[in-house]
Amino acid sequence: MAKDGEKSDWKEFLWNPRTREFLGRTASSWGLIFLFYLIFYTCLAGMFALTMYVMLQTLDEHRPTWQDRLSTPGLVIRPRADDTFEIVYTKEDTESWDLYAQTLDKFLQPYNDSLQAQKNHECAPDKYFIQEDSGEVKNNPKRSCQFNRTVLQSCSGIDDRYYGYREGQPCIIIKLNRVIGLLPGKDNQAPYVTCAAKKDDADKIGELIYFPPNGTINSMYFPYYGKKAQVNYSQPLVAVKFLNITHNEDVNIECKINAENIPVGGERDKFAGRVSFKLRINSKN
Amino acid sequence: IEELEMRYTTSVDKGLTSSFAREVLERDGLNELKPPKGTPEYVKFARQLAGGLQCLMWVAAVICFIAFGIELGRGNLTSFDDLYLAIVLITVVVVTGCFGYYQEFKSTNIIASFKNLVPQQALVIRDGQKNQINANELVVGDLVEIKGGDRVPADIRIITSQGCKVDNSSLTGESEPQTRSPECTHENPLETRNVAFFSTTCLEGVATGVIINTGDRTIIGRIASLASGVGNEKTPIAIEIEHFVDIIAGLAIFFGFTFFVVAMFIGYAFLEAMIFFMAIVVAYVPEGLLATVTVSFTSTITSVCSTSVICSDKTGTLTQNRMTVAHLWFDNHVHAADTTEDQSGQSFDQSSETWRSLARVAALCNRAIFKPDQEGIPIPKRIVVGDASETALLKFTELTVGNTMDYRNRFKKIVEVPFNSTNKFQLSIHELEDPLDLRYLLVMKGAPERILERCSTILVKGQELPLDEQWSESFQTAYMDLGGLGERVLGFCHLYLNEKEFPRGYQFETDDMNFPTSGLCFAGLISMIDPPRATVPDAVMKCRTAGIRVIMVTGDHPITAKAIAANVGIISEGSETVEDIAQRKRIPVEQVNKSEARACVISGGQLKDMSSDELDEALRNHPEMVFARTSPQQKLIIVESCQRLGSIVAVTGDGVNDSPALKKADIGVAMGIAGSDAAKNAADMILLDDNFASIVTGVEQGRLIFDNLKKSIAYTLTKNIPELTPYLVYITVSVPLPLGCITILFIELATDIFPSVSLAYEKAESDIMHLKPRNPRRDRLVNEALAVYSYFQIGAIQSYAGFTDYFTAMAQEGWFPLLCVGLRGQWEDVKLQDLQDSYGQEWTYSQRLYQEYTCYTVFFVSIEICQIADVLIRKTRRLSAFQQGFFRNRVLVSAIVFQLCLGNLLCYCPGMPNIFNFMPIRVQWWFVPVPFGILIFVYDEIRKLGVRRHPGSWWDQELYY
Repeated sequence: MAKDGEKSDWKEFLWNPRTREFLGRTASSWGLIFLFYLIFYTCLAGMFALTMYVMLQTLDEHRPTWQDRLSTPGLVIRPRADDTFEIVYTKEDTESWDLYAQTLDKFLQPYNDSLQAQKNHECAPDKYFIQEDSGEVKNNPKRSCQFNRTVLQSCSGIDDRYYGYREGQPCIIIKLNRVIGLLPGKDNQAPYVTCAAKKDDADKIGELIYFPPNGTINSMYFPYYGKKAQVNYSQPLVAVKFLNITHNEDVNIECKINAENIPVGGERDKFAGRVSFKLRINSKN
Repeated sequence: IEELEMRYTTSVDKGLTSSFAREVLERDGLNELKPPKGTPEYVKFARQLAGGLQCLMWVAAVICFIAFGIELGRGNLTSFDDLYLAIVLITVVVVTGCFGYYQEFKSTNIIASFKNLVPQQALVIRDGQKNQINANELVVGDLVEIKGGDRVPADIRIITSQGCKVDNSSLTGESEPQTRSPECTHENPLETRNVAFFSTTCLEGVATGVIINTGDRTIIGRIASLASGVGNEKTPIAIEIEHFVDIIAGLAIFFGFTFFVVAMFIGYAFLEAMIFFMAIVVAYVPEGLLATVTVSFTSTITSVCSTSVICSDKTGTLTQNRMTVAHLWFDNHVHAADTTEDQSGQSFDQSSETWRSLARVAALCNRAIFKPDQEGIPIPKRIVVGDASETALLKFTELTVGNTMDYRNRFKKIVEVPFNSTNKFQLSIHELEDPLDLRYLLVMKGAPERILERCSTILVKGQELPLDEQWSESFQTAYMDLGGLGERVLGFCHLYLNEKEFPRGYQFETDDMNFPTSGLCFAGLISMIDPPRATVPDAVMKCRTAGIRVIMVTGDHPITAKAIAANVGIISEGSETVEDIAQRKRIPVEQVNKSEARACVISGGQLKDMSSDELDEALRNHPEMVFARTSPQQKLIIVESCQRLGSIVAVTGDGVNDSPALKKADIGVAMGIAGSDAAKNAADMILLDDNFASIVTGVEQGRLIFDNLKKSIAYTLTKNIPELTPYLVYITVSVPLPLGCITILFIELATDIFPSVSLAYEKAESDIMHLKPRNPRRDRLVNEALAVYSYFQIGAIQSYAGFTDYFTAMAQEGWFPLLCVGLRGQWEDVKLQDLQDSYGQEWTYSQRLYQEYTCYTVFFVSIEICQIADVLIRKTRRLSAFQQGFFRNRVLVSAIVFQLCLGNLLCYCPGMPNIFNFMPIRVQWWFVPVPFGILIFVYDEIRKLGVRRHPGSWWDQELYY
């Protein structure tokens, strides 16, 4: 009985033929309500759009208002395969490292000397390449310094197409994340990258060689003025070549940037100012 | 009696044999009231944990656990958020469950108090010997003896009695002591004189009787089982909250499921979609609400708000439960005595000589005495030993004449004949105060007609006049008038005995009455009533204006009931019953048009013959109803009938006999002082001062709290939209998540709790006692307008505020709005450490994560700011906030301050980023949502203005909640 009543109540709620009400409202009532909300939401959306517009107007085109999160720039390695930070291959198995070489090829493409010479400026080394705007007059576009592939020498892939992977002496390229306005190093003491094995693997890492020498990143590549002002900016790179790393074993390596004015990244961020990865070279001999 | 002996195989003088008694004891069990089989405690607790919302939260917690388990299985130990979330959710459920359980626990121990009514010891005759045994070992057929002061140990058929009187007020509501004697006077066991009931008190006299019922089979046991058999009606507020919770739970599932499907359709993995479902549930369910409501709003007073009918017991609730002299008739005039509790009323002219004589008779012919050592206590409150009418007379003379005890000493009592049912009078003979006057004074009081018979003269203005026809007639009129007021009338007369015939030392014999008992001099009539409490008429009036109907339901006589009802305004001036109309028009009762009669008095006997339809009909036709002589079952029937008519019924009562009705009522109100424990336990609410007027105050407060609860819920619901929309946008547009689950829980359970509680302290907007009681079918706690306005208007504005602030924070840190759209996949890629922002800067995953936390915090702050505007607009539903005043609710102001402080603490306390995902945000971002807060305030002022200016308009209908 009660169930029946409920059922017919529902039916009547859905469509009440007496009052011609659908879901408790007549057509005109629904119309009014829709009209009301249409106006209401239009106004709201208008207000939202307006505030967003005003907010966007306040933004600088070339420099973010705040860089709260970017005090320590991240470090990233190349090559990177399958989204992991492991470089594992077998020396004798070409297929296993061919991908790495290709990635590096691709990555270093824009650094070809010819391209650099064509697009970028030859800067005076060892000092910041500062191109200030003079008041209202924007000094745009800004020029960028050349970073020639040849600087990487045996890791440039020019002499050795396989970046040492075939010989079991792989190159890893490290780049510092771009952060606008960052001036690493103090008193023109250029920042440099060092790599070391983690705790147990110290004896396995063997000899390293850095390109450019000492893993230095030249000051002339800083500051960065943003992708809009400095379209052809070439991010400086450091290559590390592992000369006699222990084969057939996992070697955990951490590289970090050394510069006095770059704070050491927080415990939780494993990629701020440093980068860790695993290197394993299998060898059938 | 022989029949009795046969039936119970007992003997009237020897009692049962102990061995047989033992057998019966084994058969019938102990003479105790058994507690009803309750649901086990753990089941009750479990039920608290398994409500609609609670189940949802369990599901959400389980999903969190699964998600955490899977993450753990993948070896990803970085994120404990899911685990936190699960734990917090479970804590919330358990804590709210404990609150609910505690609330329920407080209101369930019903039979426990019936137990206290059982007498400890009883004097029983077994094997011809008197024994003192535990009352719970009594069995049917036992012969027991009771004396004044005892509790009756079981239902007893009286065999012999000497002036035995019992107080049945807790059982039937009659305030006068009832005589108990062996004769059967009525078929109904409740009415008959020869049965004394279990748990009633024997006031005076001695009686022996055979036990006819023990334990649960006694009348009181039956009432107890009736009370526990009646389902505990949920209070209207509980129904409202349940209704609301159902809707919320339903919507949460609906939203969750819709977006689960949408997410699956878009191409998210099953687990991800499940997490979305969980997040939407968490965002949408107002977790803090249940706790808020339980803590601050379920004071039982809330339940009375929707009362539309009050069924009030008479004795002790409407009246003082104390016989008091109401009227006197002497010198051919009716004089009204002061019946107020504190003697603040007008007194009558006491200069007449007749009054002095009348007062003397009243003072002397009275056996009641004050208990000693009560000098400091006001006279009406002193404890008196004696029956109700003598008590009334004693107090009356004490108040009008002065020290009665002393007075009595001056007139030394020589002899007295106590009241008995054959004589129907009481007399005593005294020496006179003046030692030189050697006459004796005979004073007599009793049933007026019997007294008049014995009188030959009447005292008028101090003169003894012959009692002729004319005087008889005026006596009759006065007697009828006073009787018609429902008062108990006593006649008083006296006689100076001739000193020649009755010299000093004359031996008066009370048995053969060797003194004149006729030819006396009539002094006057005194009538007594249990008067209404002073505050009651006003309170009844207030109920009227508030649209609440007051129905009197009493166990007392119809005439008394009607008189009191008329007195307190339950039957208003000018209203007539069918019988009154018949009398006025001099036509038979059947010819009267029933709809003309506003008032109606129905006695228990009539009620028994009525079908429930007829009762409904009567309740509908007569707005002013009085039920008299009703049994507990009938009280229940009346309550049910009112409920059938769609009323929310409050029942007030104090006696055991009221407890079933109290339990059945939507709101049972028991008397705190006079109330029996059984009544108190059956009730939802206890009036500490026993004052009917407090119910009205309760209704007023309840209505206020109902309104405020509405405001509080509106406030709480609003923020669910800005909590929900981030997820919807996140799922559909794939922006980085603007608001995390843990942050949502902080809003729900920390910062927003205080403002929502503080709304309980809001003052009323208008005279709420001039409004009709709400219609429980139409005026829900949470109605469509409230939900729609909160969700789709204020909630929408808040969402916009949140997103504005979110996009601002993102853009100022380098992520422009258009870049954000569709960014989710890369943004959340743990392996991607050099994601470019709009400026070409590269971000590691952690940097992005902290940026996301910043967004959470920014969104949180936006909701906070908007909720401050929200709580300000919720202060009123109709008046402008300026009319209500911003600072009058101090609690609310401090709640806002506290909320802001808490918000700041969460944002800027060190360590927060890694524990609760709050980041110290830039101060500027606190101000981004401020324009939206102002918009909310201004918009609501416009809404209220429209509602006030155009009542009944489309605007009013759609936007007034």
